[in-house]
Amino acid sequence: MLTLSCPSCGANVNFQSKVSVFAVCSFCKASLVRQGMDLDKIGQVAELLDDLTPIQIGTTGMYKGQKFEVVGRMKVGYDEGFWNEWFTYFADEKIGWLAEAQGFYAVCFPCFDMVPPIGNLHPGKAVDFGKYGIYEIEDIRKVKCLYSEGELPFNALQGRKSESIDLTGFEDEMATIEIAEKENRVYLGSYVDFDDLQFKNLRRIDGW
Amino acid sequence: MAGKEEAGKEEEEEADTPDVPKKEPAPPKPQAKMFACTACGASVTIKYPGATMAVVCSSCNSTIDVTSENYRILSTYVGKTSLFKPSIPLGARGKLKGKTWEVIGFLVREDTASKYFWSEYLLFNPYYGYRWLVEDKGHWNFVRTIKRKPDAKNINQYPAKGQLAKLDGKNYQIYNYGTAAVKYVLGEFYWRVTVGSSNLAADYIDPPQMLSAEKDGKEIVWSLAEYIDAKEIHKAFKVTDKFPYQSGVPATKPPTELKACTQIGSLCAVFIIFLTCAQFYFTAKASQQTVLQYDGTFITNSKKADITTPVFSMGDETTNAVISISAPVSNSWFYVSGELVNDTDGTTYPFEKSVEYYSGTDSDGFWSEGSNTAQLGISSIPPGKYYINIDTESGDFLQTRVQQFSITVGRNYPIYDNYWWTLFGLCVIPLYSFAAMHSVEAARWSNSDFSPYPDPESYTESY
Repeated sequence: MLTLSCPSCGANVNFQSKVSVFAVCSFCKASLVRQGMDLDKIGQVAELLDDLTPIQIGTTGMYKGQKFEVVGRMKVGYDEGFWNEWFTYFADEKIGWLAEAQGFYAVCFPCFDMVPPIGNLHPGKAVDFGKYGIYEIEDIRKVKCLYSEGELPFNALQGRKSESIDLTGFEDEMATIEIAEKENRVYLGSYVDFDDLQFKNLRRIDGW
Repeated sequence: MAGKEEAGKEEEEEADTPDVPKKEPAPPKPQAKMFACTACGASVTIKYPGATMAVVCSSCNSTIDVTSENYRILSTYVGKTSLFKPSIPLGARGKLKGKTWEVIGFLVREDTASKYFWSEYLLFNPYYGYRWLVEDKGHWNFVRTIKRKPDAKNINQYPAKGQLAKLDGKNYQIYNYGTAAVKYVLGEFYWRVTVGSSNLAADYIDPPQMLSAEKDGKEIVWSLAEYIDAKEIHKAFKVTDKFPYQSGVPATKPPTELKACTQIGSLCAVFIIFLTCAQFYFTAKASQQTVLQYDGTFITNSKKADITTPVFSMGDETTNAVISISAPVSNSWFYVSGELVNDTDGTTYPFEKSVEYYSGTDSDGFWSEGSNTAQLGISSIPPGKYYINIDTESGDFLQTRVQQFSITVGRNYPIYDNYWWTLFGLCVIPLYSFAAMHSVEAARWSNSDFSPYPDPESYTESY
């Protein structure tokens, strides 16, 4: 783990994963960009209305027998709602994402980049990922970063825009295509039941 | 003792809560949020502002978008608000399937074509998300949205009778298809609910479960419902008022009659196979020996008493005796009453039998009834020497003269009577169970346009 100090307030800023290039100071909420051992402040994160998520930075869980820890979050919003993308750091230094929305949880991993042109995508269309299987498009959403905290592998400034395409595969398999400014990345994973993730160190929700 | 039990209960209650650091102080942020209704000015409370997108003003029933800065009105309600009252009050918490749920929203939805309506309760738990309790004619289903996709036909096409949706190796059969519109709404929701909005929906059943597809914009949302006992909900949410009166057979009623029928049916089939095998075995084993052949005379149209046959042996083991009587009857009758007597100890086995044969011609042609021989069986005759005493009687003969009759005794004959009677008995139970199953299943499908049972009208409930 790499520990740097916040250029804004001097508090410790931790980086568990080597791929993390962005962090939000837990103390002063400055959004910081890391280049090697240097941290630069590029913005300030505005406070967030409690969205009742039970996950927090430091929550640990199990996925397919592997332990992970939640080290960052990007909350994204779209016309009809929002969801959380929790950046997870696995025991074997692998990184992944825990997507959380309305009590549904999916764990996925960045898999490969889709080469443009992507073509005409619409809900219901089947997309062939070759050896990774065939997935069907569930929805396509224009999303905006509403909030970020902890460490992240890209600049997750509030207002960051991207397009998110959710796909479902065989049984509990899922995929997401994230179309951001510079890359079209495909994430593959599966939906998991809350209880199966064996969370520890969850956030306490008042009254529950 | 009571104290111990209580402590135990408390532990159990806690067991379902995920691993949360209990000692840590709760975040100081007040969760509930209040604002003035944009439509009527009354105070509106949002209990879970971070998760909720729309809330209903309890004074004027307008639905309000709480994600918009100026609390935009999504829809207003013009009907009589007192028409619908949730049976489980909003805010009530209860434990179902091991987890605690809070009722946060209430919807009344109706089929736009038939105007048939039902109630839906939105349940919330911040760890596990959302569930639904759907109440229809007093019957309840516990529903959760699912992410995996069943194998099913396109929802836009009107389904054919018997159409299936497959999920996790189970087949669900089309039960209902139509457009469901929001008729009335209360509480708060994770989407922008509006009164009047409608969705195309299809329900497939495999009782006690139901798989439903709903079209939400371009997306198809699938959910899985399971029948839940009204009493369980009533108790869990500590409801004091009575629940809606139950009527009819709900789509997801547990298929107890169907299961019973299948079980009884297969059990009886096993019995019948066993019985038939046993019958074949005994038939093959039966030696069918003739132990007495006796010819006697009688005078037609009169009585003759006290004929005694010679002594004969019934063999070395207990067996049955089959007595055959023959007489030259034709439009007349010959009657024998007698007893099989054990020559050693005098035990008697009484019997009686008529031999009769009638025939003639009428408008349908030739007819006949009866025969020249009659047979009767006596079971469990111990081994030993026997003889037979008989009295005879006859009538309807044209002439009075001496005629001959014969009596034959066989031992160890295969007997079919018991077999047929047992077979008949074994069929009654499955038939009864089948009838019960059929009437329940037909009633279950009486609300469906896709009933596999003919003439659903005759099964509509009799309330």
